[in-house]
Formats: sequence, C-alpha cells, structure tokens
Amino acid sequence: MGFLAPWFLAGAVAVGVPLYLHLLRRHTTNPQQFSSLMFFEQRTQSSVRHRRLRYLLLLSLRLALLVLLALAFAGPYINEPAASTPGGKLLLLAIDESFSMRAGTRLSDAKREALSVLAGRSVGERGQILAFGSEVDARTQPVDDAGTLRAAIESIQPGDSLGSFGELAHAVRSISDNIRAPIELHVFSDMQKAGMPASFSELALPADVTLILHPVVKDTAPNWTVESVNTPGQVFDPKKARVQAVVAGYGTPAAMRTVSLVVNGKTVASRTVEVPASGRASVEFQSLDVPYGFSRCAVKIDSADSFPADDTYLFASGRFDPERVLLVHESTDTRSAVYFSDALSAAAESAFNVESLTVERAAGVPLSPYAFVVLSDVASLPSSFENDLLRYVRSGGGVLIAAGTSTARRGRVPVFGENILQPRYYSSDPARFMAVADSDSSYPPAGKIEQWDGVRFYYAASVDPSNSRVVARLTDQTPLLLDKKIGEGRALLFASGLDNVTNDFPLHPAFVPFAEQTARYLSGTERRGGSRMVDSFLELRTAKEQAVSVEVVDPAGRRPLSLKEATSAQSYKLTQAGFYELHLANGRQDLIGVNPDRRESDLAVIPPDVLALWKGGRSPGSQEATAPAQPGARPLMKPRSLSWYAMLLVLAAAVAESVLASRYLGMQRQEE
Amino acid sequence: MQRFLDPSVLGAISGLDLVAKTVVDGFVAGLHRSPDFGFSQEFAEYRAYTPGDDLRHVDWNVFARTERAYLKRYRGETNSLLTILLDASNSMNYSSHAVSKMDYARFTAASLFYLAIQNQRDAAGLIVFDDEVRNYIRPSTRQGQLHRLLSGLELAEPRARTDFGKPLHHFQEFLRRRGLVLILSDFYESPEKILRTVEPLRFHGNEVVLFHILDPEEIRPRLDEPAILVDLETRERIEVTPEYARDEYGKKIDAHIEALRDGARSRGMDYFLLVTDQPLDAALREYLSIRQGRD
Repeated sequence: MGFLAPWFLAGAVAVGVPLYLHLLRRHTTNPQQFSSLMFFEQRTQSSVRHRRLRYLLLLSLRLALLVLLALAFAGPYINEPAASTPGGKLLLLAIDESFSMRAGTRLSDAKREALSVLAGRSVGERGQILAFGSEVDARTQPVDDAGTLRAAIESIQPGDSLGSFGELAHAVRSISDNIRAPIELHVFSDMQKAGMPASFSELALPADVTLILHPVVKDTAPNWTVESVNTPGQVFDPKKARVQAVVAGYGTPAAMRTVSLVVNGKTVASRTVEVPASGRASVEFQSLDVPYGFSRCAVKIDSADSFPADDTYLFASGRFDPERVLLVHESTDTRSAVYFSDALSAAAESAFNVESLTVERAAGVPLSPYAFVVLSDVASLPSSFENDLLRYVRSGGGVLIAAGTSTARRGRVPVFGENILQPRYYSSDPARFMAVADSDSSYPPAGKIEQWDGVRFYYAASVDPSNSRVVARLTDQTPLLLDKKIGEGRALLFASGLDNVTNDFPLHPAFVPFAEQTARYLSGTERRGGSRMVDSFLELRTAKEQAVSVEVVDPAGRRPLSLKEATSAQSYKLTQAGFYELHLANGRQDLIGVNPDRRESDLAVIPPDVLALWKGGRSPGSQEATAPAQPGARPLMKPRSLSWYAMLLVLAAAVAESVLASRYLGMQRQEE
Repeated sequence: MQRFLDPSVLGAISGLDLVAKTVVDGFVAGLHRSPDFGFSQEFAEYRAYTPGDDLRHVDWNVFARTERAYLKRYRGETNSLLTILLDASNSMNYSSHAVSKMDYARFTAASLFYLAIQNQRDAAGLIVFDDEVRNYIRPSTRQGQLHRLLSGLELAEPRARTDFGKPLHHFQEFLRRRGLVLILSDFYESPEKILRTVEPLRFHGNEVVLFHILDPEEIRPRLDEPAILVDLETRERIEVTPEYARDEYGKKIDAHIEALRDGARSRGMDYFLLVTDQPLDAALREYLSIRQGRD
C-alpha cells in the first residue's frame, strides 16, 4: 500500500482538536452555585478519573473522521496485478495516413496488410486502430469486435500532413500508461525518413510494448516535385509580377521537366527546365496575368513518377487596383508627402497611390477607401477627423504617425493616445545627432539593423512606451518606432519627422523598404493571398475583445468553424491541401492555397539498421528499454486507488458523528 | 384552582399584592372567631368584679339594679397578632427552576399577610433578617398596613449570611405581645442552634411555626459529573462527586430536616417543610389550622 500524496497525512495531527474538546475543555467546566455547602464534603476524584474522556463513542467517531479525511486526501492505493486482457495483450494497429501514403498503392497495401494481421488475431483478443500523420487519431477504443476494427481500417483515407513516428510513439506510451497491459504494436507505413523525429529518444516505447513493423515499400522511389513557389499574393501590375518556382528531384536522375503555370484551371505559361540528378532547378514566369479578384493558381510539373500528388503547388493571387493612401500634413510641410509617395512608388510596384491633404482639408474626408493613413507631423487635427480616424483604426484600418516638432507642441500624439514626455533636440547636444541602436528584425517595417546605418536623427519625441511594442530605439534609448494595437487595427508611431528636417532618413536608401514594408504592414496586404503549409496556423483576428465573426471555407466547401469558434477563435489550423476561402474579422476576404509539407515528397525510407534499432531496443537511451525481458519476471502491477473507499468511510463517520453529537447536545440542553 | 397556587404560575405575576390576592381568594377563606376576648362592641358575658380589675369596665347599670359589681366582657375579632420572620440571606436566592426560595417565601408571606389582614382582621408585622435585623414593620391593623408589609417584602432582597444568634435579642424586643410567629427560612444552621435561638419566643406565649423552605434540588441534588459547587453565602468552593450528592448528601439533609422537626415539636413549636415546587396552599392551611387550634 502506498500514498499518492503522503504529505496530506500531516493533516492527521488535527485529531488533537477533538481530544482537546473532549478532555481538556471538559475540565474547565463552570462552577455551579449552590445555596449552602453545609452538608457537602470535599470529595476530589483522582485527576485521571476526573479528566476522563466523555462521550467516548463520539470522540472515536471524530478521531476516525479526521484520520480518514487525511487518509483520503493522501490518496492511498494498493498495487494489484494489472487486469489482464483476454489473450494477455492489446493488439494495436497503427496505419500511416501521411501525405506520402498517397504515392502508388501504399495506403491500400498498408490497409490490406493490417486487415490480414487483424484476421490472425486470437479469439477474444482486444484490438485498437490508430491512424497517424502529424497527429495520432484513435479510430477505435480497445474492443474485440472484429467488425468494428475492420471498418475502422477500411475508413482510413490518405491525409495531407507530415508523418511523425515521434507522435506515434508518444501516443503509444500514453495508451500503455492507461491500460497497463502488454501491447503488440503493428505499424503499417512507408517508413519515410522524413517522419523520423529529431531525437531518436522520442521513439522510446515502454517495455511491455512489442513493436512489429510492416513497411509497405522496400526501396526509395524517385520523385520530382514543385518544392516552392515565390509569388506576390496581390498583383497590381501583371507585367511586373513574377512567379518563381523551384523544382526538386529526390533520388532522381537528371531530366528535363516541363513546368506550367495554371491560373483558374487554365495553363497560361510553360517552361522546360533541366533538373539535375537529385537536385533542384528554378524557373521563372515573367508575368502573372490574373483577372481582378482572387485567382486560384498553381505551378505544375510533368513528373511522370509514382507520386503525382505533389506535382502541383497551389497558391492564390489577387489582382487589385493600386490602393489609396491618405497622407495628412501641415500646410507648411510640403516635403514629407513627396518623399513618402516617391518611396512607395519606387518600391511597391505601383501598389499604392498616395494622396496628400493638408490638415485643414482633411475634415470630412471619408477614410474607408484608403488602405491606410499617414499623419505627417500634424500639430492639430479637426476633432471630427480625429474621431473618424480613430473609428477607422478600430475597425481594422492602419495609421502611420510621424511625430515631428509640430506634434511635440500639441503634447499628445493623436490616435496613438500617448503623451509626449519630452521633445529631444539632439542638434544642441555635443553628439549633434543620434543613430538607431536597436531594431526588431522580426518586425517587417523595422527591418534589419544594418538598414538604418548612417541615418542621423536630429530630433525625436520621447513617448511613453509602456502600452506599445517598441521595435526600434535610438542610441539614447529613446523609442523611435512604436506599434500599438487599437481595436482591430494598428497604429505605428515614428517618433520623428518624414520631411528631411528632423532627420535625414528620407534621403537614405533604407527609407524605400521602410515605406514599402510599412505600407504592406498597415494595409494588411502582406497577409493576403499566397500559400501556406498543411498543419500551419492561420491568424483569424488580431484583438480578442472584438467578437466579430469570421468565416472559413475549407477545400471541400465545408465551414469547419462552429458559431462559437467563428466569434472567438484566434487562429485556425489548416489540415487539408487545397484552397481556403476566408472572411476575416476586419471585413476583408482572402483566398490562400495550402500545400502539403514538401518533406513528404522525399520518399527515402528509414535505413534498416535504424528500424532494427527501434524494434530491438524499443526505448533507446532509456534504462527501461535496455533491461532484458525476463520470462518469470514479476507481473505488471497496477495501482488501485482506495480514496473512494476512504471517502465513503468519511461520509459514514460524518453521518454517525452528526447523529450522535445532536443526541448528546440535546442531553446537554436538558441538563442546562 | 390548584393552578393559581402553583409557584411557577405565581412567578409570572408581577406584584406581590396580586399574588397574595390570587392565592388567598383561591383559598377557602373561613370566617372564625378570635380566640381571645377583647374590648370591642360585641357582648360576650358578665364576670364578677375582683379587686384589681379596671373600674372602667364595670357595668354600672347592673350595679344600680343589683348593687353587685360586674365587669362587661366583649368578644374581640382582631386580637390575634401575626409576625413573620423572613430570612433574607443569600442562600435564599438559590433556585433550580423558575421560582427561587426567596420568591417562594415572599409569595407565602404575602399570602399570609393578605389572609390575616383582609380575611381575619388580624394585626400583622414583618421582620426581615439575615445576620442582623434589616427591616421591621410593627404589627398593626391600621389602614395601609398590608401595603407596607408587601412593600417590605419587595425590598427584602437576599444578601449576606444567615445568623440566628445575632438578631435574637432584637426578636425578643419586638415580640412582647402574644401572637403567632412564623419563621420563613432555609435553616442552614445546626438544628440545635436554631431551636435554641427561637425557643425564647415561645416563652412569651407566642405560637411559633418554622416554615422550612427548600428547593427540590436541595433535597435531592442531581449531578451527572463531578462539579465544583460554590456556596452562595460564603463563596466557598468545593468539588463534589455525583456519588456523594446522591448518597451522603441525601442522608444528611434528611437527618437535618428530621432533627429540626423533632426538636421543634419537642419544644412546643410547629415545623412545616415547604418545597418550592409545591403549591402555596399548604402554608395557608397550616396557618389556619394553628389559628383554629387557638380558638
């Protein structure tokens, strides 16, 4: 017998409480008054007798109650032989349903072999069916019904995920912990090398698991695939759009392959490329002529191999008119609009048209047609415009605020909502200027630190960064670039000007990528279109507090999100290859192409020696695995919890104590 | 009717006058004659003059007719004198139920006063004592005497200790006229000392009755466990076992009562035990029986 939480036994010291109540407390009874002690004599009883425990039965019950309570919390258990299943073991059949099982007849072969193993099962022996890819799906519980098991095997369809033997081993360990019975594990797979975990120790199986591998292929099959496609998710000028594809061969000889670009099911261009033996070749299509709106595009090769499923790489591309950007500036500032619009037109392939307005003319301008808004060092804003702008951002819009010297006079950054702590004029310092000391390279507008080399800042507005994300700082640690989520939208604060007065940033080459990345980031075009991998997650909304519904339509045309998930889910896992249609919380629609992980295209199998090591060692690196199995070894013991019985006894003792205590209490009242 | 004599019922009545009225009106108030001849207007008999008799009582009309001197005698109705000695020591405060011994003694005394003054036309007086005389109301039949007595009873709050010896000579001083003396006490003193103290009252021709007032718990105390008892008068503490309370104490209190009863009777006094859970009519009946005996 043992205890799961023995430290709870310390609670048994509480038995001192009833002892105190029954023994010590009883001794301090109040003296009774009597008319005269004339006829009484001193009769002191021995202290032991006087201090006798009253209501012994009640005391016993109270002690038992406390001890049992402590015992129940301590989690007592006894070890008993594990419940043996009929036949002494569980037959666990794991069938690989990863993307590579689509090659040839691999899955049907695996299922046929699994059925044959199932047919050879002992009478009454329980079986369970697992299907595994990147996750393990238990298709049945441990049952002995042959029909159920057979149906589960036949229902397995090939998936699009990456196979993972590590996940399978993890699931088998969990099953073994739960059932505490010997397991005979049969794995039906193409034993793809890509499915091996990074660490071999992740394949560890418990000692009572017998692993039997059923490879459905013996040798590595040659395979060509479109490994990747680089294309803009949005096309503004078809002549400038480029599609770059990489064709890879695994275990293949050198060969000429024809690569085709397909738009909405129609082949619009073809190229022939020579792929070296087991090598890669890239191909580029000079234009992507897609109609307005999103188009379903693909790059295909004529592989003529046994795995045609990976010959197509899907991606979505949308053609739109250049988006409008509103730049609001002071009437005295004529240069910032020039610098910013020139930078955008130079970089973003005519994706954005900048319209500049002075502050005075901005009031009443509808903001919804604009992809984002730039406030370039404005001293004051009409309140109606500021309210409209705040509503625009909260509903998913973006704003870039440049806080130059004019904004510093105002004291508070509009829309961003933070106060300017201190305007810092570096030109009066001995250093004369500041440089960028630190930037967050994971943040697109900030870029790499090298990008900021040579940029001099003569002025910066120091803003409280506590409610924002600081993505770039000057050498005196003044935040230069701050990002803040406001509702569904974003506000980006550049703590200096865009006019080549407070800094020389607009004259540096780094200003062009900065403007482009900022525009893409704030307009949200960086997240639209393109392609994703199976098993990757898609961000559905950016702020939790917004309960705006989103909608996902999967490649089969189903809507996998429930109503609750549609209003609360932050992300969605892409589980199938194909095109997903999205209606996002910010009101925009999107289309993305989802492709299987291209590691599945490498059909190389696990070397036999590794498989032998897995089968023989079962749990490599673990002590348990290296211990040889002994035929006469002690049978598996399974802990059986006694807490339930202890709680029942606690309940019984509590009821008895209540009855007895109320009885005694009644007697005491009568005595009083 | 018995219900109105129950002490626990009377305990709920606020005023002693109402208590007394309730008790006595519920009791049979018998008309009777005074045992002694007095000098009121109701003629009784003639007696021949003997030297020394008061000449004012000679019937001169008879002397004129017969030339013999006769004294005219009348039947008196208020010649009886009731004096109650009330023990107001702390021990009288004891109670095991709704009515304490003091309350019971007050009810009894008030009822007797009411009976004596309103029904019997007797003069009634009160002496409240503990270890000294605390209050004395001279026996009288004057208007308002009943209220004075009841007020004296109200003010008789228990305190101090009982000591019969000390206030004795005061009793002698106050009780010079013959009459009926009732002593209401719990008599926590040796019977010999009590009787020796009270006996001189008898020498003056008084009828002395000892009303021994005890709580039922004092006769048969119930203890379920060893307890510490505190004397109400001396504040002395003593540890008592249930066995002792059941056996030894019972014998001792019984012997005490017996000694008091026997000693009183042997000295020509009456003794009566009043238990505070018993109706009050027993005391009244005793009083009237003694009055009858004196007729």
